[in-house]
Parts: sequence; structure tokens; C-alpha cells
Amino acid sequence: MSKSIFELVDQLPTSGLTISMLNSLDFVAPGQWQNTVGFVNTIKTVTGETDEDLIQQIGERAIYLFNDKSQGYQTALWLYQTVDSTDKALGAAALANKVGEKIPLLGFLNSVTPKPDKAQTIDLTLKLVAELVAFCQINGIPGDSIGDFVASLGEYSGESLIRMVALVCVDGLIPLGPDFISKAISGLNQTNPQELEKNSTFQNIKDVIPGNNSAGKLNFIGESFDSVKGWMSGLVDANNLTPQKVAHNLQGFVEIADDKLDYLAAFLDVATNYYEHTGTQTLARRLIERAVAEI
Amino acid sequence: MILHRERRVLAALLLSVLLLTTACTPQAPGRFDQVQKESTQQKSGQAVVKKATQGSEFNKFFPGASGGYQRVYTQEKKGFAEAKLKKGGKDVAMLSISDTTSTPGTAAKFSNSTKKIGGYPAVEVGKTQSAILVGKYQVKVLSRDPSFTASDRADWLKKFNLNALAKLK
Repeated sequence: MSKSIFELVDQLPTSGLTISMLNSLDFVAPGQWQNTVGFVNTIKTVTGETDEDLIQQIGERAIYLFNDKSQGYQTALWLYQTVDSTDKALGAAALANKVGEKIPLLGFLNSVTPKPDKAQTIDLTLKLVAELVAFCQINGIPGDSIGDFVASLGEYSGESLIRMVALVCVDGLIPLGPDFISKAISGLNQTNPQELEKNSTFQNIKDVIPGNNSAGKLNFIGESFDSVKGWMSGLVDANNLTPQKVAHNLQGFVEIADDKLDYLAAFLDVATNYYEHTGTQTLARRLIERAVAEI
Repeated sequence: MILHRERRVLAALLLSVLLLTTACTPQAPGRFDQVQKESTQQKSGQAVVKKATQGSEFNKFFPGASGGYQRVYTQEKKGFAEAKLKKGGKDVAMLSISDTTSTPGTAAKFSNSTKKIGGYPAVEVGKTQSAILVGKYQVKVLSRDPSFTASDRADWLKKFNLNALAKLK
């Protein structure tokens, strides 16, 4: 872990493709996500405290907690960073070619390659598993019952909620279509452990996915996806989400034709890092909540 | 002409001095640099001591839902457990128990306490926090909404099963 947690939070951007994309998804969860950046600013926002000595104490405790490897926070951050397959150069090139407020995606059709459905399914489900594992690394398994744990998961709000909204929209609906949930389930059912092992994200994070071997881990991935499919379809139904509706909202910052949605998905996949961005915010918030309670 | 050249030399000189000083002056240390250095001396165990009580031990001492308040557990880590209180769908407060063995300063701040809540030494911290020390454990209630006042915090501190927590080793 080369950078300190306060540097990471201080360096979170206030503009760029990731921020534009998350703001475009605000219509699914209105007002839920504020792009809170800056370590001290996050302490003030989360705790409501303004005394500088107190802020210093909270910050110092949060830094100690993050740097203690046994506490799992570093693993969680690493997961959020690793499942984003961001190509920063492409993102920068796209921004440089902006015409007015929008990026003409037509110019990037040669630079991005849409993924086959199966590869996209594995990506989607791995991001979900990363979220689940990161949640447990950050929060433990709160409460004494499955019900407590599910209630705690149900408390997704703010940056955690917008991350899940983006997962459904950008990694589910746009690349896989309106029936992405059933497509993902059948895709996983047809995936064997050897195919899973060929996925580079899986290779990177497999050590933290529960399961004795690739078959066991594949099983866990399937169970995880199965356990949240109800929540995902609820989100889709409640907001009448369709690939076209999501794409229409994204057109505030990127210009794309409806028949090129697979290219839009491929472009957003490499040009944004929404998991890392909002994951850093989630982690900072939880660290600060714990720090202020412990001092 | 000569004056002109002198001016140019002077300008160049000033510019190089400027570049030199800005490039070579070390950046002033930030307010968290020192603690970053201290806390990375070891890789593991510096924030939470090995013998700290597991957070799962604390859950049973938390107050339950009541009076229109909903309680949702949010964190359970070694030496720490936390739940939030919600009312009308809004977060109004956080409830927590922590083992002060890892944070000696936490227990020390109670030595000046003149107040008691539920029979235990109590302190107010900042604008949003009320805490009591029960044996080696700190119980804290933190407001997350202005409607949740210091007296609400004191009420909720009393709702924890404090006497049972005091017996936890």
C-alpha cells in the first residue's frame, strides 16, 4: 500500500468521466450521492464535528486503523481498485477529444472492443462478489443473525448505493440487455471452472473469494449473484430501467447511437473507475465512523 | 541598451532564484504525515491489540428497537461494534461499544469526568457525542441529526445493558 488513506481521499477527483457518469445515474437514486472528497472534509461531513483538535484525533485514529493490515481495510480498498479494469490513457484521450460538453464515442469505436456476453457476465458477477467481500472486510458481519446481516446490507446508501446502481446500469443493462439477470445466471451455469480461471480479474482476486478451489469459488459467485438478484430486479422495476433509458441519461456527456450500446459499455468499462472512486469514499466513511466512536 | 541588458540579467537571475527556491524547498509537512509515519512502523496489530474483545461479544448489550426507532447493526470488528438508530427512514444516531485497551487515551479522558450516566463516568465530546466508561469498554452515542439531542444520547446510553457489559472480561 504505497499511498496513505488521507492522500487517496484528498486526491479523489471532482470532475472527469467517472464523476459525469455517476451524476448521470442520479435519476435512479436522486440526491443519494454527493461527491465528498478530501480527508478532512469527509471527517467533517460524516461526523458533523468542526473542532480542529477533535478532527485531528479522528483522522489519526482512522489512519491507524487503515494501516493495521489485520483490520481488512487495505484488502477492501485493493478489491475496489482491482475489479476496475480502467485504462487511464483512453479516458484521458476521450476527454481531450470532447466537443463542447460531450465525448463523441464514434471516434473511439476502434479503441474499444465489446466483450462477449460470457466474459461480461463473469465481470459483472466478479464485481458483485468483490462488493460482498469488501463489505465484510470493512464492516465485519454485523449483528447476531442472518436477519441482522441482511438488514445491514439493506442499508446501502450514498456512495455505496450509487456504486450498485452503476453496476446494474453500466455492467448489467447496457452490455447484456434488459434480461441481464437471467442472462447472467444462465451464463454462469454454463461456465466451467477452467473458463473462470482464464479471466484475468478472477486470477487477481481469487485468493479472497471463499471456496477451496475454482469450482467452489464459482459456486460462491453463483450464490452471491443469486442472493442479490431480487434486489437488482427490484431496482430495475421500480425505475423502469431499460438499456435505452440508461443510455439516454448518459448522453449528457457521451454521444452514442442506440445500436452501439455494446461499444458504450466497453468504453465506460475502460474509461471510468467508479468502483475505485466510490469504494474509496465508502471505506473512508466507515473508517471515520469507527474512529470517531473509538476515540 | 546597457540598462536593458542589466534588466534582462536581473530578470533571469530572479527567475532562477525563484525556480531554485520553489524546487528545493521541502513541502511543509501535512497534519497527518507524522501519524502516517508512526502507524506504518509495523504492518499489523498497531491499531487493535491482539487481546481486544471481539465485536460479536458486544452485540447482546445493545438496546433494541423502541419508540419508533429502528436499530440496524452496521459494523462488527475486533474491539468494536456499532449500530445505527433510524427514525422515519432517517439516520438519527450511532450507538457503539469499543474496547479501550487499544486506545489508552480513550479511557484516560474519563479521569476528569464529574458527571455520571447510568452510574458510570460520563463525558461529552465535541458537539455530537456522549460517552461513558464501563470497565474497560467505552459506550458512545453519536448524534447524526440535530433533532437527536444530548439528553436523547444520555437516554440511549442508559438503555444499553451496562451492568452486564461491566462483567465482560
